[in-house]
Amino acid sequence: MILLDVKNLTLELELAGEWVKALDKINLVINQGQIHALVGESGSGKSLIVKAIVGALPNKRWKITADRMNWRGQDLLSMSVQKRREIVKSDISVIFQNPINSLDPLLNLGDQLKQSINIAALPKHLFWQRNQYKNRRVEELLHRVGIKNHERFLKTYPHQIPSNLLQKFMVAMALASDPKLIIADDPTRGMEVTSKAQILRLLSRVNQVKDTSILFVSHDLLAISSMSHCMTVLYSGQTVETGELQQLRKRAYHPYTQALLDSAPSFRKDLPPKSPLTTLAGTIPTLHHLPIGCRLGPRCPRARKECVVTPSPRKIHGHYYSCHYPLHWAGR
Amino acid sequence: MDLINVENIRFEDKISRLFTPARTVFSLGPVNFDLQAGETLAIIGDNGSGKSLLAKLLVGLETPSSGKILLNGLALSTAHHKQKCHDIRMIFQNSTGSLNPGITVGAMLEEPLILNTELNVQERLSKIDNTLRLVGLLDDHKFFYRHMLSDGQKQRVALAKALILDPKVIVADEPFAALDPSVRSQTVNLLMGLQRDLGLGFIFISHNLGIVRHVADKILVMENGAVIESGKTDVIFNWPKEDYTKRLIETHQQLVNSQYN
Repeated sequence: MILLDVKNLTLELELAGEWVKALDKINLVINQGQIHALVGESGSGKSLIVKAIVGALPNKRWKITADRMNWRGQDLLSMSVQKRREIVKSDISVIFQNPINSLDPLLNLGDQLKQSINIAALPKHLFWQRNQYKNRRVEELLHRVGIKNHERFLKTYPHQIPSNLLQKFMVAMALASDPKLIIADDPTRGMEVTSKAQILRLLSRVNQVKDTSILFVSHDLLAISSMSHCMTVLYSGQTVETGELQQLRKRAYHPYTQALLDSAPSFRKDLPPKSPLTTLAGTIPTLHHLPIGCRLGPRCPRARKECVVTPSPRKIHGHYYSCHYPLHWAGR
Repeated sequence: MDLINVENIRFEDKISRLFTPARTVFSLGPVNFDLQAGETLAIIGDNGSGKSLLAKLLVGLETPSSGKILLNGLALSTAHHKQKCHDIRMIFQNSTGSLNPGITVGAMLEEPLILNTELNVQERLSKIDNTLRLVGLLDDHKFFYRHMLSDGQKQRVALAKALILDPKVIVADEPFAALDPSVRSQTVNLLMGLQRDLGLGFIFISHNLGIVRHVADKILVMENGAVIESGKTDVIFNWPKEDYTKRLIETHQQLVNSQYN
């Protein structure tokens, strides 16, 4: 079943009197029980997509248009703010990128976690027992993400806790409401390998046991490829390639995907130590200086005259790519 | 001869209150290692294991409570402070935060030259141009302010800041963590190239074991302020001895292997 279906999502913002397309025709489909990875470098609009889905962008500064943006058949864009909030509250939970900024500095962690618990999911109880049940649930959640002495932890405030523990706490908070979709915005950033593996294992276990879908936003390809089923690659606000992870890894059609895969040394077993890594020249364009057409154009080794026109997505066996000269057209 | 020798360096962080004896909060060391010219040493370990502190001790931001650092066989002490500023330079974790937003890149790079060398204005300017070109920027970038640069360029400026005094050793605290994949491999290539050309000793802290394996010659594993294991990269990666190292390498291998089946 399709949970989230986004087609041609375009997001414009005003920069120096001009409307700039920060997201340009993004397509994204998430099925139930699937871990979908969203890969892109900073400034490619990963976090903007997340915010557009949950409706966390104020309408005044942004223009959001989409052919469709459906959550289980209901149109998210045309429904009332109230209704959308209800859906987002009960079905979608987000692990935001920067835990210290997204937690309330004035409430202790226990209160914040209790607020996000779904009361309907607690066992049948009378109202005076509610707090007791909540406490039990909080304890269970913290142990699940690997936070040990919960009693002391719950009384502390966000600034007293190191950021990698807070990151785990954010995961616990996301699990608290028993969501159908977890959007994880770079949940393993800056973690060392063991706690990263722990979080990844936890997320994939939640996915298997409860059939929860996960939208995994990151640029850590190692983490992504260890757990996800599908992958969407973004470059500067355009979807570059979408497909099953195995297919993409085996054979990428878009030059950018290939460059991304090549840039991680752990992906290549045959790479001798200290040899230069393959890279694309140049850096990611800023929003003020977006190139026309295919935005990879100025950096792309295969760019030609036609690349000033935005390529339309093409499809081979459920594997979408948008490029005028994809990698499998070797000779032409 | 070794480029840098670190012998039994220790550091103790003490809290003393009125009427109570001083209490040691964190103790580091003893740390021993040596590094040849052109070699790379990686420091890995958990958060809070004292990696950044060790880096700070090496560049002289903190003074060790005992032990010594020898550079080319000469002890670095306060008497040789100027030499230390010259020969060991640091790249900080957060390249945005370590650049001054109020002055141009050129002014930022000129500062260490004014403080540590006797060059005149002309020589300083040409030195700045050369260094900017060395790290792959243009001469014109010296007129830029911090906010006009992209992430990769900021990292390059941070590197130029470290290179401007022709150091022998560069100490970097997570230089690749905040970078995107494509910019990251550019920086890795740049550092490896510079190391080859200039014979720099490079000491860096990283969480990314893939890069550590690719770049480093030697590894130092730290846990709770103590060095628990050190040695050649492929020895550590193939035959780790300590439990902590085994766990670290195993999880990394699992992540890597899980993509191939």
